[in-house]
Amino acid sequence: MTGQIRDAYLVAATRSPVGRRNSLFRRVRPDDLLAHVLSAVVAKVPELDPGEIGDVIVGCAMPEAEQGMNVARIGLLLAGLPERVPGITINRFCASGLQAVADAAARIRLGEADVMIAAGTESMSAMPQIMGNKVSLNPAIFASPENLGIAFGMGLTAEKVAAQWQIGREDQDAFALESHRRAVAAIDAGLFADEITPYRVRSHLPGEVGVVRIVEQLRAVDEGPRRDASAEALAKLRPVFATRGSVTAGNSSQMSDGAAAVLLMSEAGLKRSGATPIARFRSYAVAGVPPQIMGIGPVEAIPRALAAAGLGVPDIDWMELNEAFAAQALAVIRQLGLDPARVNPLGGAIALGHPLGATGAIRTATLLSAMRRDPALRYGMISMCIGTGMGAAGVFERV
Amino acid sequence: MSRLNIRKVAVLGAGVMGAQIAAHCANADLPVILFDLPGEEAHPDAGVEKALAGLKKLDPAPLATRDRLVAIEAANYAHNLARLGECDLVIEAIAEKMEWKRDLYQKVAPFVRADAIFASNTSGLSIASLAEAMPQTLRPRFCGLHFFNPPRYMPLVELIPTDSSNPALLDALETWLTTRLGKNVIRARDTPNFVANRVGVFSIVAVIHHTERLGLGFDEVDALTGPLIGRPKSATYRTADVVGLDTLAHVLDTMQATLEGDPWHRFFVQPTWLQSLVGQGALGQKTRLGIYRKDGKQITVLDPARQRYRPSAGEVAPEVGAILKVRDPVERFRQLRACPHPQARFLWAIFRDLFHYCAVHLAGVADNARDVDLAMRWGFGWSQGPFEIWQAAGWREIAQALQSDIASGATMSDAALPEWVLAREGVHEAAGAYSASSGTLVARTGLPVYRRQLYPDRVLGEAMADPAETLWESEGLRLWVRPDQDLGIGIVSFTSKMHAIGDEVMAGLQEALDRAERDLDGLVIWHEAPFAVGANLAQVAEACRAGQFDLLERMVDRFQQTAMRLRQAQVPVVVAMQGMTLGGGCEFAMHAAHRVMALESYVGLVEAGVGLIPAGGGSKAFALQAHRLAQRAAGGDVFPYIQTAFQTIAMATVAKSALEAQRLGFAQSSDDVLFNPHELLYVGLRRARAIAEAGYRPPLIEQAITVAGRDGIATCELMLVNMAEGGFISAHDYRVAKAVATALCGGEVDTGSRVGEQWILDVERALFVELLKTRETQQRIGHMLETGKPLRN
Repeated sequence: MTGQIRDAYLVAATRSPVGRRNSLFRRVRPDDLLAHVLSAVVAKVPELDPGEIGDVIVGCAMPEAEQGMNVARIGLLLAGLPERVPGITINRFCASGLQAVADAAARIRLGEADVMIAAGTESMSAMPQIMGNKVSLNPAIFASPENLGIAFGMGLTAEKVAAQWQIGREDQDAFALESHRRAVAAIDAGLFADEITPYRVRSHLPGEVGVVRIVEQLRAVDEGPRRDASAEALAKLRPVFATRGSVTAGNSSQMSDGAAAVLLMSEAGLKRSGATPIARFRSYAVAGVPPQIMGIGPVEAIPRALAAAGLGVPDIDWMELNEAFAAQALAVIRQLGLDPARVNPLGGAIALGHPLGATGAIRTATLLSAMRRDPALRYGMISMCIGTGMGAAGVFERV
Repeated sequence: MSRLNIRKVAVLGAGVMGAQIAAHCANADLPVILFDLPGEEAHPDAGVEKALAGLKKLDPAPLATRDRLVAIEAANYAHNLARLGECDLVIEAIAEKMEWKRDLYQKVAPFVRADAIFASNTSGLSIASLAEAMPQTLRPRFCGLHFFNPPRYMPLVELIPTDSSNPALLDALETWLTTRLGKNVIRARDTPNFVANRVGVFSIVAVIHHTERLGLGFDEVDALTGPLIGRPKSATYRTADVVGLDTLAHVLDTMQATLEGDPWHRFFVQPTWLQSLVGQGALGQKTRLGIYRKDGKQITVLDPARQRYRPSAGEVAPEVGAILKVRDPVERFRQLRACPHPQARFLWAIFRDLFHYCAVHLAGVADNARDVDLAMRWGFGWSQGPFEIWQAAGWREIAQALQSDIASGATMSDAALPEWVLAREGVHEAAGAYSASSGTLVARTGLPVYRRQLYPDRVLGEAMADPAETLWESEGLRLWVRPDQDLGIGIVSFTSKMHAIGDEVMAGLQEALDRAERDLDGLVIWHEAPFAVGANLAQVAEACRAGQFDLLERMVDRFQQTAMRLRQAQVPVVVAMQGMTLGGGCEFAMHAAHRVMALESYVGLVEAGVGLIPAGGGSKAFALQAHRLAQRAAGGDVFPYIQTAFQTIAMATVAKSALEAQRLGFAQSSDDVLFNPHELLYVGLRRARAIAEAGYRPPLIEQAITVAGRDGIATCELMLVNMAEGGFISAHDYRVAKAVATALCGGEVDTGSRVGEQWILDVERALFVELLKTRETQQRIGHMLETGKPLRN
């Protein structure tokens, strides 16, 4: 026992490729993407009786419209899971996918379930405005200055972090360029092949004389990373959130579509299904920070999660730190003294994309895949900042 | 000839002119196939597609709305010639090379339908020679059709028949060009460069010649040959940069080659500075280097003597400036001739040689003097044509001065003046314009399409039988009728400066509406452009200075009540608008029963620019519109419609065409968009009559408008907070925009509340007066009155 009632093990994980907003998965529904990863992750443990799944917890940052009406339940039914398997959609904005993993682990750790699925899905293409289908703010936000930060756009909060932590434009652009370089190198080395379950996009197009033409394309590679990224091109982009700012489209995360699912089990679950665990869930923490500097959230969350696991920063061999913006990622790295070489070794959201509520689950798949590849990795961490001012961090231990 | 039904147009050549002609056809809801040479195998239409993409970037915009582009299909001569069979009109607009054009004609002729019209947009090649490349059967349907650049905005089109052109077809084409494309047609003869370019380019040649002779600077000459003498702001050399120095060089070469018999032939050569600029690839605006050069913020101009650029100054000597301000043209020209200053001598010389050239060539190049004058106005943007200027300055006196300059060898050419010049007192008379070729006065054409133009452009001295009858007149406007058109429809014309709306216009309008309800069946508000530049800011500023905010509140109330009176009148009020329709003018237009708009209408609620919000019912009109649109949408949420209106009004966006005005909600899709502004009144009168005959009833005043309220205002503020924090807007911008949001959302009431129109008017008015009390808004108003430009504070 490691200070818990029971251990929760991560057994399998998979994800879709990530598409740029309004591109690869422009007309693909997020519930279809979810169903795809749910059935794929279950298929990874053939001996598992799907009826044993205690719950399917799905993170989604904008759970409305195409991904509304409890998309978790709809997705699992579309995936062909037994009707007796329940589903719940949860929302902690950009940490929703990681929160789903933590919640699923918690149910196992408490002895309430032996098999759980944690997932995330998000289609930013489906959202007409990036703040959702209907934006409506409370007038009280504008009535007092202390609440005004709630209304700040994410890019503006990145400007505030850049100013407060003195992260210059050149550093941000260099960080962005490195993210693309690492991501492209990882794609070329086939390092994502293991975690991605290719998605067959079925397009229904108007064809000749009223006949619908069906075109199928198999998508297996992330669309975000740019081979042609260059310091010059990044330097040319204009700041978009402030007149004298430093945050550009190039050093911000990409808006994207994608989904991922993670299978978790108790020891009993492992025994019954004969599955081999990849990692043990060690700890999870969330913390609040001022909304106007939301990007700094991991600075509060990471030490809490490490403390809960009894670990320190140097113990973490592989860290997935979501790159909402280069400015906040650099501020977090510098503030906590993280080793840049261990942070996002395969690139981050600036290159790979950031489908909000799915990202936590997607990067869990990336971490587990790295742990399977490399026996030298012992501890891994996933962390991200969260809109309206929070941070989340989870610690995983290879078994 | 029955009517011409043109359902689809082909344009051959996707260059500057071809693409823009295609764009203007698309503006007029005509499907267009735009052809060019095929590109490489994989993307044969890449060139045309690039040209089409370029249309979106051109300024001024060739497209009335960006989405018009969908009407234009890309095609190429290698693969798609058979598609010419779909087209009723084919306009060729390829490079000005006779051989290329003839080759193309032979290639495409077999695919052109037997009943299609084929026209060339050549700017000066012989139409008869081009016709020879056409098969016999197509020749009756072939003519020249010369547009001016930019074709959406320049009204002139020269229609050049050949001997074999079918006259009935030409009439039908002229009719179509006039109404459908909104162009002003001149029938030109098949002489090199036709009318406008023949005279216009000679004018440039004369300017170049005298610039050099008198040692004046290019910038100095531009200061002299712009608005001071009734020509466009870009004057001579700046225009050359805009048009392209290579084009100017090419035109001069063409004249050198084709106008051998012209007595001025020796002047049709490229000056050495032009050769050298073109040789270096300095072609003007398109290469960012030409006669002028922009060095950062400084504009520099070429000094040809020293072969370098110097800061552009271009000042007119005070004594010459004073002469140009003399109102009486006879006196003005007398003083110009007498003044020894080189600038005055220059001006006399360019006019004198232009008059000389026009007099000698009138018989050859144009049917009559009116055609020459109108061509220069419509094609070159001159306020008066050469014969008009001459006649206004005293025909006989100028003719004698010209004669003596010829005799003394001062003129560019010693060509003798034709006899008719000294025998006449002018060329424009009540009975018509003088035709030197026939020796008679020629009246205007009787083509029925011109009956739609109740007030066409007239030349000096042309008689205008105006059957107008004034019913009533006030300080601000005139109420009148055209008994020959419709005795029962009143016409209201504002008489204020720039048709600004002040107390006198509002009072006049109230009275006119009373009279119309009593005695008439409908009203049309019509006058020349601009329709109205908004409220009378000077009156507002004055009341502000005096601290009379109660008075201002009453003024706004009167504005609102006038707009409501307009809408609730028992007879239909049709607004026939063109040009700037801003602020209060836009609000009046929005309250009318119907709008008849010229395509070139520039419409917007621009109050934010002076730190105010639309408070003459404009905000209310958008709130009402959102309510109505939301009723048709699932869920019935008004906010999406408020949000778009908020962005439009908070940014003081001006629609750049009537079509865009419809898209932005300043006008309705049921409103009329006319391409020829001269037809506005004709259509307005008939529209008002039709609405009246259909049993007009004013709309009910809405008592239950669902408004976006407090949450709506907060959601608009979301955008403002981010713009303010990002440094994009000032604190006062924020305040003004929040007031816009508050008015559009119906005030700080619960979201989804139902309110009456008067409630929103009260909200508008209160916010307007509050803003007027701020120092920043007062500064903005003062700055606008002084400079005509908005102040950012």
